[in-house]
Amino acid sequence: MRFIRSIADVFGYSPFKAIHQHSEYIVLAADLLIDQYEAFLAGDEDKIVALEKEIDTLEHEADKIKGEIRTHVTKSLRLPVDRQDLLTFLTFQDEIINYIEHICHMFTYRKIENMEKIVEKKFRQLLYMINDIICKYEELIDHVMTLIATSFSKKEIADIMVMVNTIEHVEHECDKVQIELHKLLLNSKMDTLDIILLRNILIHLGEIANSTARASDSFRTMVVGR
Amino acid sequence: MIEVIFLITIIVSIYMAWNIGANDAANSMATSYGSGALTLKQIIIIAGILEFSGAFFFGSRVTKTVGKGIVPIELLDPHIIAIGALAAIFSAGLWITIATYYHLPVSTSHSIVGAMLGFGLATVSEDLIPLEAIKWGVLNKIVMSWILSPLTGAILAFMIFSVIRITILSRMDVERVEQIFRYLQVFTACYVAFAHGSNDVANAVGPVSATFGFSETPSWILALGGLGIAIGIATWGYRVIETVGKRITELTPTRGFSAEFATATTVLSASYLGMPISTTHTLVGSVLGVGFAGGLASVDISVVKRIIYSWLLTIPVAAGLTISIYTVLVVFL
Repeated sequence: MRFIRSIADVFGYSPFKAIHQHSEYIVLAADLLIDQYEAFLAGDEDKIVALEKEIDTLEHEADKIKGEIRTHVTKSLRLPVDRQDLLTFLTFQDEIINYIEHICHMFTYRKIENMEKIVEKKFRQLLYMINDIICKYEELIDHVMTLIATSFSKKEIADIMVMVNTIEHVEHECDKVQIELHKLLLNSKMDTLDIILLRNILIHLGEIANSTARASDSFRTMVVGR
Repeated sequence: MIEVIFLITIIVSIYMAWNIGANDAANSMATSYGSGALTLKQIIIIAGILEFSGAFFFGSRVTKTVGKGIVPIELLDPHIIAIGALAAIFSAGLWITIATYYHLPVSTSHSIVGAMLGFGLATVSEDLIPLEAIKWGVLNKIVMSWILSPLTGAILAFMIFSVIRITILSRMDVERVEQIFRYLQVFTACYVAFAHGSNDVANAVGPVSATFGFSETPSWILALGGLGIAIGIATWGYRVIETVGKRITELTPTRGFSAEFATATTVLSASYLGMPISTTHTLVGSVLGVGFAGGLASVDISVVKRIIYSWLLTIPVAAGLTISIYTVLVVFL
């Protein structure tokens, strides 16, 4: 519209909605990873590849959001949180979906037959725990808009502390399952190449949990260190 | 002849008043629309009535400063003043129109002060008055007020929002607090409109008032300015309110209240002191104040740089335009 002078330019780009959207992609990708694991067990190669593509696309979309945030959060913006803290936090959040994407490719590397039942069960358990930690994480990030609406009220910050603690607790539980699985795998009678692949997947699953905990930790730092 | 010049000056003044209503008043009111405190229709009615009241009842001090405080009109004859007033209001109106077209954050107050300075300098170049006769002391004060008003707005808004944040937002349910402030914002919207009218009417009718010499500015002139502003809001401003309001929905009632209260208080104080300041710049300062108090997801301080550039551009351009137009008019009239 011509012939207008506007004060709207004083309002800068707000990255918070985009950050939450990015976290939603992580939830979607983690969901699909469970489906892909089931397809992997069933030996349904078409489904494995289809899900690989879907997760890959989600990762790519998340990358675009990350890029958008990085380009728009310029130095002239004054955000209610430290800009550097925010960018560091974003890097950690982006790592989560990167690890999910790595794993979705691994399921296509090799077909595993005759997986030991206990290994199969433990992997499923770990995947569901990871799904859980990621859902909790998304809830945490969802709080960012309320945080801004209340202008970082003490109650909101206290809620966030509790949520981060829960996430760290689940991460610890994931670690335990990961250790059990390592022991199982390295002492199993399965094919060596199968073990190598599963161990690789296992390590990356652990990294999903770790990076989720790291991201929530840096989220806490960002919120507290204003 | 002088009557014709006077009539044209009045017409251009009304155009300027219309422009102020269409853009500046609209921007001030957009904060109440963005937060959803008022509907567009309510805003137009409130703004129309209160801008007019501010102009009519409280606009004379700033009008006096603009019309009689910069150029020593007691040393000039009425014919020259009439030409100078026309040149000044015409230049300011032209510059504002151009600046608006290019979306520059230019202030009508800065334009009219620059234009009146140009008028003064033109008479100096004609050897009608010495350079020292221009009221530099008043100009100094005006420039100071231009620097201080956005700062005051920012500090006040920072304090008001901080108090709201600490005492209310952190203790009560956010949605309820916002609901209550939606009502309070009706009051601040009126306050802003009144304050804006009281200060900015001078940008339209200041030069006309100069033609009356040292007799009191007739109140019908202020009424005319106030009416022009009200018409500007109703005929064009509502579109600006919609456009701007949609982009600033982040300014929730608590934030809008803080920014509006700070702006209106600063502007009304300036009106009391007779200082022609920019309401828009004060409002920008106030929004930044709320942002610095942690009330907004993001504020962009690069806007400050653009405001300063527009400032530095406006004074010489408005003065230069006035000198040119004045020179042409003096030759022909």
